[in-house]
Amino acid sequence: MLNFDEIFVTRNWFGKPVRRNADTRFVKGEGSYVDDLNMDCVYAGYVRSPHAHARLGRIDTSKAEALKGVLAVLTGPEVAAVTQPVGARAITRPARQHVMATGKVRYVGEPVAIVVAEDRYIVEDALDLVEVEYEPLPVVVELEDAMKEGAPLIFEEAGSNVLLHDTLTHGDIEGAFREADVVMKEQFRVQRYSSTPLENWAIIAKHDKGNDSYVVWANDQQPGRSITNVCNALGIATNKLRLIVPDSGGGFGIKLALWPYIVSQCLVARKVDKPVKWIQTRREHLMAGTHTPDCIVDLELALKRDGKVLGLRIRDRQNDGSFVHTAGIYNLIKFANMVGCYDIKATQAEMMSIVTNKAPTVQNRGVGKPVMIFVLERLMHRAALQLGLDPAEIRFRNFVQPEQMPHTTPSGEIYESGNYPECLRKAISQVGYQEVKAQQETLRRQGTYVGVGLSASIEPGTSNLGYYYTSRGTPEYMGNAEGAIVSMDYDGNVNVLLGSVDEGQGHATSTAQVVADMLAITPDRVSMNTHMDSLVSPFLGHSGCYANRFNDVDLGAVIMATKKVRDKILKIAAHMLGAPVGELRLREGGVCWTKDEGKSVSFKDIATVAYKQILLLPEGVEPGLKEVAYYKNDIAKLPNKENFNVQMTHSNSVHAVVVEVDVESGMVRFRKYVIVHDCGRQINPGIVDGMAIGSTVHGIGAVLLEEFVYDENGQILTTSFMDYLKPLALGLPRFELSHMESPCPTSLLGTKAVGEGGAIGSLAAIANAVEDALAPFGVKVTSLPITPEKVLRAIRETKVI
Amino acid sequence: MHTIKLKINGKDYEDEVEPRLLLVHYLRDKAHLTGTHVGCDTGHCGACTVFLNGKPVKSCNMLAVQANGVELTTIEGLARDGLHPIQDAFLDKFAIQCGYCTPGMVLSALALLQSNPKPTEVEIREAIEGNICMCTGYQQIVDAIAHAAELMGQSRR
Repeated sequence: MLNFDEIFVTRNWFGKPVRRNADTRFVKGEGSYVDDLNMDCVYAGYVRSPHAHARLGRIDTSKAEALKGVLAVLTGPEVAAVTQPVGARAITRPARQHVMATGKVRYVGEPVAIVVAEDRYIVEDALDLVEVEYEPLPVVVELEDAMKEGAPLIFEEAGSNVLLHDTLTHGDIEGAFREADVVMKEQFRVQRYSSTPLENWAIIAKHDKGNDSYVVWANDQQPGRSITNVCNALGIATNKLRLIVPDSGGGFGIKLALWPYIVSQCLVARKVDKPVKWIQTRREHLMAGTHTPDCIVDLELALKRDGKVLGLRIRDRQNDGSFVHTAGIYNLIKFANMVGCYDIKATQAEMMSIVTNKAPTVQNRGVGKPVMIFVLERLMHRAALQLGLDPAEIRFRNFVQPEQMPHTTPSGEIYESGNYPECLRKAISQVGYQEVKAQQETLRRQGTYVGVGLSASIEPGTSNLGYYYTSRGTPEYMGNAEGAIVSMDYDGNVNVLLGSVDEGQGHATSTAQVVADMLAITPDRVSMNTHMDSLVSPFLGHSGCYANRFNDVDLGAVIMATKKVRDKILKIAAHMLGAPVGELRLREGGVCWTKDEGKSVSFKDIATVAYKQILLLPEGVEPGLKEVAYYKNDIAKLPNKENFNVQMTHSNSVHAVVVEVDVESGMVRFRKYVIVHDCGRQINPGIVDGMAIGSTVHGIGAVLLEEFVYDENGQILTTSFMDYLKPLALGLPRFELSHMESPCPTSLLGTKAVGEGGAIGSLAAIANAVEDALAPFGVKVTSLPITPEKVLRAIRETKVI
Repeated sequence: MHTIKLKINGKDYEDEVEPRLLLVHYLRDKAHLTGTHVGCDTGHCGACTVFLNGKPVKSCNMLAVQANGVELTTIEGLARDGLHPIQDAFLDKFAIQCGYCTPGMVLSALALLQSNPKPTEVEIREAIEGNICMCTGYQQIVDAIAHAAELMGQSRR
């Protein structure tokens, strides 16, 4: 963390709820999302497999090609023949997969052929005319079946459906269990769900015949990485692909995996020699986009009688469906965060990434942390009940204490700052914890079943991308970093470009606040085009909007580039004023001499010298006022199994929830929802609140509503918002937020992550509240989602949700 | 092909359309009014909400030919110069994140405030039940609509 005096000249904007005027286009309907770009496109669509597992036979495209308006049809095997396979990252067994199906199909919805036609409607007609022969194979849907001896193999070359199997032990785990007075064992099941951004995936690809290169517009979340993946797959030089990311209608991780589609779009764009547009439908998105993996997690918690936790074992079996690129990643993140907010000295994690005939998975908001905190915080709740302790008390007895910071977890994760006990104290007080407890009995006698649930969670940010490859060998990526270009224009106004993209977080406003305070100007003088263009944006392989990294490396790069510009401005001003740099001060859009404030030059005057009157520049100073900087978070080390430090900032929060369960209908209703969170220093509290609430609602969807349901044949049954239910305004509580501020010593501004916290902490808090409400019925929550049907069945028969 | 004539945001349009062309695709691809979005294809998300003869409809659930002779208002027609108070309120209250649901939300809010100038929080939440926002968790949108009601009330006074 830098001293603010080194960064800021004024303190007028940082930390204030500055209005997002930079994004006024969104309220006017003037955003430019991919489908809004009008460039005389033709349209593409995919023939998708109706089978979950089948040999792919003959594909007859002749009828489709004969349809008026159809321009091209390309089959999966044709695409595979001219492209490199998809690269794996976390898994250790060999598994060969292409960007489209070849040889066989592995999930319902896998793309088998691509059709290009003059408009969207002809595409839909033509898709029906492509005739594909399938020879159905035995289907494996659930991970337990996939692990059985003799189970059908998803990837024959792997010799198993378990593509990653590793066990990582840290601390004296055997000793912990030997010394334990009590061992709690539980198994939890978490379903497949997704944050489902409102804008589906969208791509326009254009082939430039003249120099045999491509321009692609896509709502891609990690363009830095996609460029290399697409070029590797196509076998072209990376300077032959220009990738542009315009406005994007939400990401949440789900748009990290659209690059395989960019590959096939490039191929058809080349074939038809016209810009080709593909807009994914919602059905395609839900069926064959990407999900979180469903999983079964077994835990064993070793405790002393006083509630002190000595050790934790998990066995994490995860159904990664059928996308080798992401398989195994969630396991590693769960492992990295397995001790949550607690000072647990010994851990052991057995992790298995299992492939099945379900759809691909990708890093959805929180990536594994929602599940890890859910199972841990459920188990802490159960342990408290077992030991006759209050669920709050057992947490107080195990928290990492503020005086222990920075605290290193057994696996090597470094919690840099935070006050976890105070966070819980505030939440308990705000939610009226004791009052709810006191009223519970009376209410129950009246037939009203109210429960209160707590969950304490960490929210890491800025992942060290080397972690993907821990079980595999040398990482393709390491650490995390971002690039920025900051320039002062002719008239003294500022332009910013980032290598990253904006998925709706208001980066332009937050960035303008920081730059404004660095240059003593107003944010409206800072213009930031959040569209990424690989031809001009300063990108790295890490560049993108994911892992809660904007506040750290993105702004780090902006700050470093702005400092360079500022240094140059001062140098030129010193020359113009005939005063030493050390005696100059930035003030209201210019530079003045502290010894005689009447002597000053405006940024416009300085820019005039830098851009036009260049003979007036001091000796050795280059013309222009444009600077590029790349910033990496320096605490990242090469992750390995012994020292697995894979996230560089750690926010924390407590969710405290009061619910009422209607035991006649099984419906869960919110009575109160308190979030106390600590994301270090806040740049823009209006944006921070939106992140905290929005991510919590993602968690509420996961805990109460959302599930991708498959039948035994691997057919997905939830392919519209009629059967894949999203939270709506009416069923939600009014969230009460409280903030704490433990500055982060490892980010320049003392900021930490805020984009994922609610999606992590909400699951257990709500589940604990539901279990508390249903305590008179002896109902235990071991699975999600908590649907009315499951609630009623548990009350009446099974006692288990 | 059918000829349709309609008024959009006060301007006359006449086009030849296929009978199966959805109104939302007509608006976006033929009239080049891309503020109306497609989020779900099934009428659940409300990103395609427009005003048809003064009432909100989901333009992905209508054919273009059904709009023959009607008057439409899309988000682009809400405020010719500057911002409508609802748009202003959305910015004031941080009711936008990715912006994709915003046009539909703003128009649903307008429909509510036209019929109920002083809605309660529950009434606001009911009024946007047909609009899905994946980013905000709705709270700041609800606050923005309440704020817009105040702004519009003031301007009426």
